[in-house]
Amino acid sequence: MKIGIDVGGTYTDAVLIDSGQVRQTGKVPTKQDRLLDTVLEALDSLDIGAKAFPREKVENIPVSTTLVTNAILQNRLSAVELILLPGSGMKLDSLAWPVPYRVLGGELDYRGRRVADLDSHEMQQLAEILKEKFLQAKQQGEKALAVVSGKFAHRNYILEQQLAAYLRKEIPDLTVALGSEWGQTNFFRRSLTAYLNLATRDLFSDFRDKLTKAVRARGLNAPIKILKADGGMQQAENIRPVESVYSGPVASLLGVLAQSQPEESYIVVDVGGTTTDIGLVLSGRPLLSSKGAHIGNFLTNVPSLAVRSVAVGGDSVILSAAGKQTTSEGEENINIEENINIEENINISLADYRLGPAYCLGGNNPTTTDALRYLGLIDFGDYIRAEEAMALLLPEDMREIPRLRNVAQKVLNLMVEKIALTIEALIKQWKEEPAYKIWQVLNPQHDYIFPIKLSGGGAGGIAEALGQRMNTTAGLAKHSMVVNAIGAAMARPTFSWTLNLDTNLRRYRIEETGEQGEWRGSLRPHREVEQFLKDLASKQAKKMGLDESQLETEPFDYFPLIEGYLTVGQIVRGRVHLPPGAFQLQNSGLPA
Amino acid sequence: MKKTGIVFFPAFDWSLGETHPEREERLLYTQEQIFEEGVMDLPQIKQYSPAVADLRDVLRTQALFPNPDRHDLDAHLIAVGCSLVLGKALMAKEITNGFVLVRPPGHHSGTVVWGNRGFCTLNNEAILVNYLRTYYGLKKIAIVDTDVHHGDGTQDIFYYDPNVLCISIHQDGRTLYPGTGFCEEKGGPNSWGSIVNIPLPPGIGDEGFLYALEKWAMPAVREFKPDIIINSAGQDNHFTDPLASMNVTARGYGKITEMISPDLAVLEGGYSIQGALPYVNLAILLALAGEDYSGVIESQKMKRRVLGGEEVRAYIDKLHEYYKQIEPRWRYAQRQEWRLPAGNWVIRERDIYYDTEGIREQRYDLIRECRQCGGTVFISTSNLNTGEKAVLVKIPFEACPACEQAGYDLAEQYKKSAPTLLLQNQLHNRISFWENGKEVNLFATHN
Ligand SMILES: [Zn+2]
Ligand SMILES: [Zn+2]
Repeated sequence: MKIGIDVGGTYTDAVLIDSGQVRQTGKVPTKQDRLLDTVLEALDSLDIGAKAFPREKVENIPVSTTLVTNAILQNRLSAVELILLPGSGMKLDSLAWPVPYRVLGGELDYRGRRVADLDSHEMQQLAEILKEKFLQAKQQGEKALAVVSGKFAHRNYILEQQLAAYLRKEIPDLTVALGSEWGQTNFFRRSLTAYLNLATRDLFSDFRDKLTKAVRARGLNAPIKILKADGGMQQAENIRPVESVYSGPVASLLGVLAQSQPEESYIVVDVGGTTTDIGLVLSGRPLLSSKGAHIGNFLTNVPSLAVRSVAVGGDSVILSAAGKQTTSEGEENINIEENINIEENINISLADYRLGPAYCLGGNNPTTTDALRYLGLIDFGDYIRAEEAMALLLPEDMREIPRLRNVAQKVLNLMVEKIALTIEALIKQWKEEPAYKIWQVLNPQHDYIFPIKLSGGGAGGIAEALGQRMNTTAGLAKHSMVVNAIGAAMARPTFSWTLNLDTNLRRYRIEETGEQGEWRGSLRPHREVEQFLKDLASKQAKKMGLDESQLETEPFDYFPLIEGYLTVGQIVRGRVHLPPGAFQLQNSGLPA
Repeated sequence: MKKTGIVFFPAFDWSLGETHPEREERLLYTQEQIFEEGVMDLPQIKQYSPAVADLRDVLRTQALFPNPDRHDLDAHLIAVGCSLVLGKALMAKEITNGFVLVRPPGHHSGTVVWGNRGFCTLNNEAILVNYLRTYYGLKKIAIVDTDVHHGDGTQDIFYYDPNVLCISIHQDGRTLYPGTGFCEEKGGPNSWGSIVNIPLPPGIGDEGFLYALEKWAMPAVREFKPDIIINSAGQDNHFTDPLASMNVTARGYGKITEMISPDLAVLEGGYSIQGALPYVNLAILLALAGEDYSGVIESQKMKRRVLGGEEVRAYIDKLHEYYKQIEPRWRYAQRQEWRLPAGNWVIRERDIYYDTEGIREQRYDLIRECRQCGGTVFISTSNLNTGEKAVLVKIPFEACPACEQAGYDLAEQYKKSAPTLLLQNQLHNRISFWENGKEVNLFATHN
C-alpha cells in the first residue's frame, strides 16, 4: 500500500494506492507559508486506518515538496560564508555570482595536480575575520556556516580539506562544507550547489523532523521519502536538501509514466492553476537535463529532469484591453505578452497570475477555464456563468454570440500556442544536446513525432487543439486530477555512480558523492576497473536499500595517457546507474 | 547581446593511432578546463551541437581521388559539419562570432586529396568558406592562419582565387613541416597577392608574433575588405609545443584573437595537450566572448629563450619590403599538348607529399588567364605510389562566360580518357564525377 503527496503551487494532492490501483484521493489548498500543515492536511484527507487500509500496510510515505525551491526563490536561506580558491584562469566576476564570496590563494591544475599551496598568512587573516563575524552572528542566534570550494577540487580535495581543517580548529563551532562533495566538473555550479545545500540544511531538517514526528503520531511507521529533482525517490534522512528542488513538475511526469507502457515515448503536459509543466519521456525514460538545475539566480549541478514550465494554466486570468476589467489587485503585474485583435479595438491576452477560481466555478474573473467551458470542451463549471465571463471581456454593444465564441476561441488559441512553443523549445533542447563522440553524432535518433499526454484540471479541454497544433495525437492521462500525487507515490529510486580514474596520478573519484581515493590497480586496467566500479557502486546501492541487480552499466571511456610517445597511464570514465522511472499502475484502478 | 557560438567536438572515440599526437586525449584537458571554469555558463556563450557534413559540400571544394569511398571520412565529416553549424549560425545572426573547437584539423588538406596529410583529410575552413559563398552569397573572405605550420592546404585550395585572401603566419618552412610558405608564394595569374606568407624564425614570442600581425597581416586584411574573417587557430606556436619552436603564451593567443577579431575561429593544430591546449583554448574563447583573459596562466613556466625586440621587428619589416617587391614569373602551357580550350594557360608543376601515409603526388595545375574572373583551373594529378591518375576541372565562383565554357570543354575533352574526372562547377553549385568514362552519382548512397 503506497501513499503519495504532492505539494503544488495551488493545491496539494494525496493518493492512496493499493495493489497498483488508486483507492483514495484527496485535495487540499496549499498554504505556501505553512507547508508542513499542508502536507499533514493532505495526509489526513485520506482515510487511512479504515479496515481496508490498515496503517501497518503503508510501505512508505513519499512527499514531493517545493520547500527548498521556495526557500531559494524567496531568499529564506541561512547565512553561509563562501570561501573560494579559484587559482588562475577566467576572472571570477565574469560570472554572476548571486552571493558574496571571499578569495584565497592556492591552485590546482585540470588533473588536480598542485600548482600553488595555501598561504598560511592569508589563512590566519581569514580565520580572524570569520571569528569576528560569527561572534556577531551567534549573538543574533545564527549558526556559523561556511563553504570552502576550490577550482579542480573535485579532482583533488587536498587544499579544501587543509583549509577546512584549519578553520574548524580555529573556530570550533563552525560547520564547513566542501565544494568537492558535489563532484561534477564546474567550479561555479559546484560552489553554489554546496552553498545552497548548507543554506537550506536547517530548514529542510526541521521540516523533515517535524513531519516525521507528526506522521509517527498518526500511527504510521513507514519511512518518509522525498522526491528529488532527477525523479528519484529517496529516504528523507539520506537526501541532501538541495537535491529536492523542483519536485512539482517532476511528479506529474512520473505520474503519467506510472500509467504508460514501459517503452513508450511521449510528451507530458500538466496543466496547473497558473503554470503548465512540460516534460519528455523517451522509450520509457524521462529526459534528464544535461546541465544541473537552475533555481532563481543560482546555477547548480543538481541532476534534474529536463522539464519546462510556462506561465499559463486553468486559472489564468483573461485580460481584455477594451472590455470591462474586474481586476482590482495586482494591476501593475499585468503581463500582456501576446495580443490578438478580435475587432479593431479589443485585445485579448492571458495574465501570468490567478485571482481565485474560474468565473464559472464561482470566481470573479474570466479565466481560461471559462473559455474552455463556453466552447463545450470541458464539462465542469456553470455554462451560463462561462458565457457571462466571455461577455465581460467585450463592450456591452458587442456581446453577440459569434463574438463571444470568437473571444473564447482566441483564448484557446493563445493557451495552446504558449504551450506548443514551450514543447518545441524542449524538443529543440533535446535535439541539440552536445555530443562528444563520433558514434553519437552518426546515430542521432531525432525523427520522432511524439504523442502528447495531458494531465491536470482543464487539460482535457485543450487536447484536441494542442494535438492539431503539434500535428500529433493528444489525450488525457488517467487520474489526471491527481497525477502528481500518483507520481510521488510510484516514483522509483534513482542512483548514479560515476567513476573517474587517472591511473598515472593513481587517483580515483566518484562524481556524485565527491569521494576520492588512491588507485592501487594497474596502469592500464580493463576488466579490473569495471569490477572496481561495480563493487563500489553495489556497496553504496546496498547502503541505500536498492536492488543492485537493477543497476545499469554504461560503456566505459578509456583515454591512453601519453607522454613523449610513451603510454604512462590511462584516464578511465565509467558509470553505473539506475535511471528515473515509476512503478506501474494497474489500468483498472478507480478513484474512490 | 553579442553572442559567441561554440561547437566543442573532441572526438573522444577517434585517433590516428594510440600514441599519435592526434589522439583521443587531445582535447580531454581542454574540456576539463573550459567546463570547470564555467565558460559554458557565461550568458553570451551559446553551445551548438555537432553535425555531419554532406559529401556535396566537401566535393565543391576538394577532389577526393580516386573516389570518396576510398577515404575514411567519419571524423573529418563531423569536424567539417561543426564548422558549417557555426557558419550558418553566424549568417543567421544568432551569434556575432564563434569558435569551432573540434578535431581532427584540416589546414594541410588541399585541392586534391589522395590521403591524410599533416593529420588532415578534409579542410574545415576551405569547405566552410565555399559553403558560405554558395548559400549566402559572400563575395570576399579572408583567412588568417595562426598555426605554427604553414597552412599549405588552405593556400593550395585558394591559390588561384582572387576573392579569398589567405594569410599564413608560421615558423619558417626551412625549419619545420611542411617546408613551404615562403614569401614568393603569392598566388596565381589572376590572384597574385591574394596569398600572403609570413615565415618567422624559430623562437619568436608574443611580441614578435603580434608585431607581424599588426604591421603586415591586419593591414592586408583591411585593404582586402572581406565580408568575413576566419582564423585558422592552431595552437602550436605555444612555448610548450613538442613539434615546433615558437614561444607564444596563452595570453598572447588571447591578444592575437583580439587583434584578428575573427568572425569564426577554427581549431587547427596544437599538440602540447597538457602544457598548452587547456590554457590557449580558454584564452581564445574568452577573447572571442569579450571576457578578460589576463588571468589565464599556464602552470608550466617558459624555459626557452624568446626572440624579440628590435632585431625581430627589423627582420619582419625587411621581409615585408621584400614581399612587396616580388614579381610573378609564369610559364605558359602548350595548348595542343594539353588539348586546352582557347586562352592563355599558365602551368605549374607540383610535387606533394602526404606524410601520414607516405603518398607522393605529382600534379600539373593549368590556370586560364582571365581579367574578368578567377579563371577556370584544370588539374592533372597522379598518385605515384599506386599509379592512379585523375583530373579535376574547376569553374570558379563568378566565372565569366568564356571561362565557364572552357570548363565544360575540358570536362568533355577528358571525361572519356581520364580514369576519374571531377567537375567542380562552383558557379552553378553542381558537382559531376566520371569514372572510366561513365558519369557516376556519388550522392545516391550517401543521402
Ligand atoms: Zn600545426
Ligand atoms: Zn574568366
